Amino acid sequence: MKVRYLAAMHKKLFLLLFFLSYVPSLWAAEIKNEPILPLNLPLDSNPKLIALGDQLFHDRRLSRDNSLSCASCHLLSSGGTDRKPRSTGVGGVMGGIKAPTVYNSSFNLAQFWDGRADNLVIQAEGPVHNPVEMNSSWPEVISKLSRDAAMVEAFGQLFSDGITGKNIAIAIAAFEQTLVTVNSRFDRWLTGEQILNERELRGYRLFKSYGCISCHQGANVGGNMYSYMGAKGDYFKDRNSEITQADYGRYNVTGHEDDKHYFKVPSLRLAAINSPYFHDGSVENLDEAIRVMGRYQLGREIPDDDIRDIIAFLHTLVGEHNRFKP
Amino acid sequence: MILFLKSIGTKRGALLIGLSLVFALLLGLFWDDESSEYAEISHNMLQLKQLDARLDRDMLRISSFLMVQYDPLVNTTNNLREMKTKIDLLVKEHDQQLRDLFSTYWQGMDEKLFLLEKIKFQAALVRNGIHYLPIIAEELRSNEPRLYEEILVLINQLYTYHLFSADSQFSDVKIKLEQIKQHEIDDAESQSLMDQVLFHIDSDLHGLAKLDLLKRRYLDIPSQDSFEAIHARHEANRIAETSTKRQLIMLLTVVVFILLLGLWQLIRSLHNAHQEVNRSWYRLHDAVNNLSEAFALFDAEGRLVLFNQRFGDFYPWLKERDMEALTLKELQAVTGSRVKNLNLEGDAILDLLPQGQYLEKLDSGAWYLSSNNHTTEGGLVCVRSDITESKRAEADLRKLGRVLEQSPASVVITNTEGIIEYVNPRFEKVSGYTAAEAVGENPRFLKSGDKTKQEYQDMWSSLLAGKEWRGMFHNKRKDGTIYWESASISPLRDERGNITNFIAVKEDITAQKRAEDQLRMNATVFDTTAEGIMVTDEENRIKTVNPAFTRITGYSQEEVLGRTPNILSSGRHSKSFYEELWESVLNKGYWSGEIWNRRKDGSVFPEWLSISAIKGEHGIAKEFVAVFSDITKHKENEEQIRYQANYDALTGLPNRSLLSDRLNQAIAAAHRENWMLAVLFVDLDHFKVVNDTFGHVVGDELLQLVSARIRACLRESDTVARFGGDEFIILLQDVTEMDSVANVATNIIDHITRVFSLYGREIYIGASIGITVYPDDAVNADSLLRNADMAMYQAKERGRNTYQFFTASMQQHTLERRQLELDLRQAIKRDELEIYYQPVINPSLNKVVSVEALLRWHHPYRGMVSPAIFIPVAEDSGQIGPIGEWVLKKSCQQLKKWHNAGFSDLKLAVNLSSRQRELGLEAGFLKSVLMETGLSSDFITLEITESLLMRDTDEAMAWLSDFKALGVSLSVDDFGTGYSSLSYLKRFPVDTMKIDRSFVNDLPDDIEDVTLVRTIVAMAQSLNLSLIAEGVETSEQAEFLVETGCENLQGFYYAKPMSAKELNHWLSADVLETGTT
Repeated sequence: MKVRYLAAMHKKLFLLLFFLSYVPSLWAAEIKNEPILPLNLPLDSNPKLIALGDQLFHDRRLSRDNSLSCASCHLLSSGGTDRKPRSTGVGGVMGGIKAPTVYNSSFNLAQFWDGRADNLVIQAEGPVHNPVEMNSSWPEVISKLSRDAAMVEAFGQLFSDGITGKNIAIAIAAFEQTLVTVNSRFDRWLTGEQILNERELRGYRLFKSYGCISCHQGANVGGNMYSYMGAKGDYFKDRNSEITQADYGRYNVTGHEDDKHYFKVPSLRLAAINSPYFHDGSVENLDEAIRVMGRYQLGREIPDDDIRDIIAFLHTLVGEHNRFKP
Repeated sequence: MILFLKSIGTKRGALLIGLSLVFALLLGLFWDDESSEYAEISHNMLQLKQLDARLDRDMLRISSFLMVQYDPLVNTTNNLREMKTKIDLLVKEHDQQLRDLFSTYWQGMDEKLFLLEKIKFQAALVRNGIHYLPIIAEELRSNEPRLYEEILVLINQLYTYHLFSADSQFSDVKIKLEQIKQHEIDDAESQSLMDQVLFHIDSDLHGLAKLDLLKRRYLDIPSQDSFEAIHARHEANRIAETSTKRQLIMLLTVVVFILLLGLWQLIRSLHNAHQEVNRSWYRLHDAVNNLSEAFALFDAEGRLVLFNQRFGDFYPWLKERDMEALTLKELQAVTGSRVKNLNLEGDAILDLLPQGQYLEKLDSGAWYLSSNNHTTEGGLVCVRSDITESKRAEADLRKLGRVLEQSPASVVITNTEGIIEYVNPRFEKVSGYTAAEAVGENPRFLKSGDKTKQEYQDMWSSLLAGKEWRGMFHNKRKDGTIYWESASISPLRDERGNITNFIAVKEDITAQKRAEDQLRMNATVFDTTAEGIMVTDEENRIKTVNPAFTRITGYSQEEVLGRTPNILSSGRHSKSFYEELWESVLNKGYWSGEIWNRRKDGSVFPEWLSISAIKGEHGIAKEFVAVFSDITKHKENEEQIRYQANYDALTGLPNRSLLSDRLNQAIAAAHRENWMLAVLFVDLDHFKVVNDTFGHVVGDELLQLVSARIRACLRESDTVARFGGDEFIILLQDVTEMDSVANVATNIIDHITRVFSLYGREIYIGASIGITVYPDDAVNADSLLRNADMAMYQAKERGRNTYQFFTASMQQHTLERRQLELDLRQAIKRDELEIYYQPVINPSLNKVVSVEALLRWHHPYRGMVSPAIFIPVAEDSGQIGPIGEWVLKKSCQQLKKWHNAGFSDLKLAVNLSSRQRELGLEAGFLKSVLMETGLSSDFITLEITESLLMRDTDEAMAWLSDFKALGVSLSVDDFGTGYSSLSYLKRFPVDTMKIDRSFVNDLPDDIEDVTLVRTIVAMAQSLNLSLIAEGVETSEQAEFLVETGCENLQGFYYAKPMSAKELNHWLSADVLETGTT
């Protein structure tokens, strides 16, 4: 009796396992073959390290006069930027360039507009030392943090060498890697959900046919290449303002004459909500930004109707994060 | 031994072994570590090559527009960066050349990455252009169809150039472009489109050329060659490294081999030395084994190194053990308590392993002379020789010596001359002389001088003849006291039979002499003691008696000798009593107890007697000793106590407990003899009043007089007992007719009702008597008493000073009462009780003053039960408690309703029973009821009975005062029926008096009642009390009462008690006018 019952049980169990074995493939629905890929969270993560990075990201002791933290210019609630053409550093000093978003920054091929940091760890060092940003230095920051017993303990638990500049940067970078705006409507469309409307789909088609897609592609819709600002027209001449050091872009890093006015192509993931636009923050509106892009990068005038649809498409790229309140 | 030898060689051996191990380890290390670092570099280089290849592949894919998104490239770039850091770290320690090669390679890679970025951008531009050209051409189509065709051709040429990028194609495109540029266009819009087309084609060509250039530059980078160079260098390094290592390994192998050879040599020489040592070892062992002593050698660690056979023999328990492995510790543990260590003087040593010489005593009795000595190496040599034999001889001698020393007899040894050679300690003790004083002396110094010279001469001649002499000496101690000795003196002979000494063994017999004196003294005690003593022989014939015996019994010794103690028998004890006595004496050997005996003069007296049997040789009683004392006095005291327990102290009459005994005895007797028995329950009337009025002293004396009078009315055989305060029970035995009982009762009542004169006062009381008869009414004591009690109450109810026989109807009444009690319990549960209200009218004001709450019981089959019946039942059973509270609460709630209905000055009277106080009703309860209902206490009157006021005055007073303090009025019910004492009216806080209906009934015709009512009214007015007359039934009564001054009336003339509902109607209707209900 019991044996038979067990046998029946086994049969059921087997069937269940059989069906379950299909679930992953059902779940991971076929991703559409498009130049844009969905965003995903990093797989491996150390919660303690992330928590520490989170704390440091919001720690004003990283600036000389304890007035600024990373989060001062990269407001997580409003898209990871301060939405200003130039950010204000310690003592009210104006920065030379528009602050890019921290969201999804781990997908970029390098950090900063000019790509002077290969990765987030190196990047984290930049603003701390930049005189027009935090205007501090590692020894100064370390001496401040070392007076905080809780900090000393947190670092002690994670690193054998305690509080160092490198370790601060590692922690902040680990936290920044979790700043991924997943689950956007476009990503859901990519995984097979029919949730984009006609206008949004048309916007995407236009985005591709105008050639925007040539540079703004990949998971981050940009961020994975450098591009010449003004490929089909002289942007800087038409801008009508003096050329700044920042305008030289990647040239500032490599010193190659060829790299002049080359910039890292920015991600368009949060473009719909993060104005102003371009490295100089010179354009306030998205439609104008698209127009400028068409004119100087594609050599084309894009009609207003198309711009409107492209904007609709760009809105579908905005994903979710628990700190982010669009 | 082997271990010992090994330890010599260890140091050198260990050094050798250690060295070989170290070198072998080094060998292993070099052998093994050969490739791990190189392997890692190789592995990384492999990955690097893969990445490089992937980069090249991706570049080609991008430049041929096959890559739609660049994320994979980002990955590859990142991996390359990581790889660079990793490899740089690995080669940091390596030779400059390798590092230079790598640095060249990295430069190439950086260039590649730089170009790749440019290619990515350029590819994007070109792709956009290619995509856009057909679109813009399409826009031209409608305006300039010919031009459109041309442009299409151009675009096609452009695509061909894209695909093959040959110079000829490029010149085709150039020519075509020039041709199109010649084309003239009039239309401005078309011109602008045309310009666009030209711009884009131009830019496309430009971009394509640039892309081509970039691609070529990329491919020209000799990263492959750099990598090969690195690889070659790496391999060379590796091989070089390996060869040095191999040389090192060879060297190490040789060293290890040499070391091992040395080790082998060492082991061999050690082995030889070992054998040599072994040989000398066996020689030593042999020598040791032949020793007559036991021998054992322990090394410094306590291991048994050497021992002989005998050592095992000496300690037989070691034989079971493996002696080779024995250690000192184990030896001690095994030995344990089997061996006792003693020093040479024979005192115990606690030390388990004493040093030097000492004695060991085994539990088997063997003695060893032992020695433990340390060797120079810290070992221990143990030697044991057996001295058991000499020890045994020594012990025997010592034993004999002890016999003399500890002998209880004095021993004196003299030489043949009579000079003392030895005295034992006993002699010293007895005589007081020390041995030193006695030795060398002639024993005559002990003489007290009462033996004649002749006697001494006889003794000596007998002794010298070789005979033993026995006799007594009356000797003198050193302190001069005389003592008795019996002596036996005998000669001592040597082996040849010659007399060498004389030995005197003497015993001190002074104590025996003393015992004789003791006996004499005992005889005196026997003669003089106050207790009588009688000794009888085994046949219980009196052998002897003492003078006290004669004094107590009156018999002289001569009179009783040879007779049995029966002559003393009082006859008060049964045969069995004596049988038990003798049984105890014969079996247990003694008896003691109280016994009544008779004197010679015939008088009987109690005595405390102890008899002991004196047993003979075979355990059979030989004699009996009886000792007794006269306890007559003691007995009298006991009587006194018994009396107090059974008799009433005040009257001297039997008390309740004795009555109970007597009654039970009487019942038993009556049952046996077929008699009848009468129980009379006498209760004094008005006794309480006397007690309260004149005090307890008078009351007590009155009770004494009453009991005397009752006793005087009875026969001697009848019993009268005091049952309670003023209650007496009379027990008449052997009753034949009821008339005589009735006569007794009448007689008693007659006597009690006569005047008592006490302290110059004349006091009158009365008595009520209840009578019950056995076996007619009941057959047990309790029932008889209860019946008599009930009959007595009946007598009281019939008017005091009378008697009443218990009757069957009373029985019935009892049963009914019990049933009623049970029903009443149900009544509360079943809601059968109801409150009726009877109005009180003020005729002058023509107004309803108040209502009196009256309880009614609707019994399920008896119908309406009168409160006169069930209220006493409720009081007796305690149910009046909850019922009373219920009535108070309900009636107050009802009054509130009436107040609310507009009869706002209506008052309420509720009856209160004294039982309610006993059951715990408190003023607090009424207060809470008033609080709940919101009634003012002014509206409430509590009606109490006279009897309540009469009882427990102080407590009742306090209780009523509590109620009064709430502000309620108090009214005395049924005034005139009780004792009508004015004194309590003054003392109690009474506000109202109710004239009992019995005075109202016959008004206004009965002169006596008229007078009484007038008196009451006058009294009430003088005490400032208001009045209510109860039971007003006619207009004449009402008129008279109003006229007399009684303002409030209650009765059927105005209204009977009504339910609350009926009263509602009655109050609403204007019934007062008619005067009827």
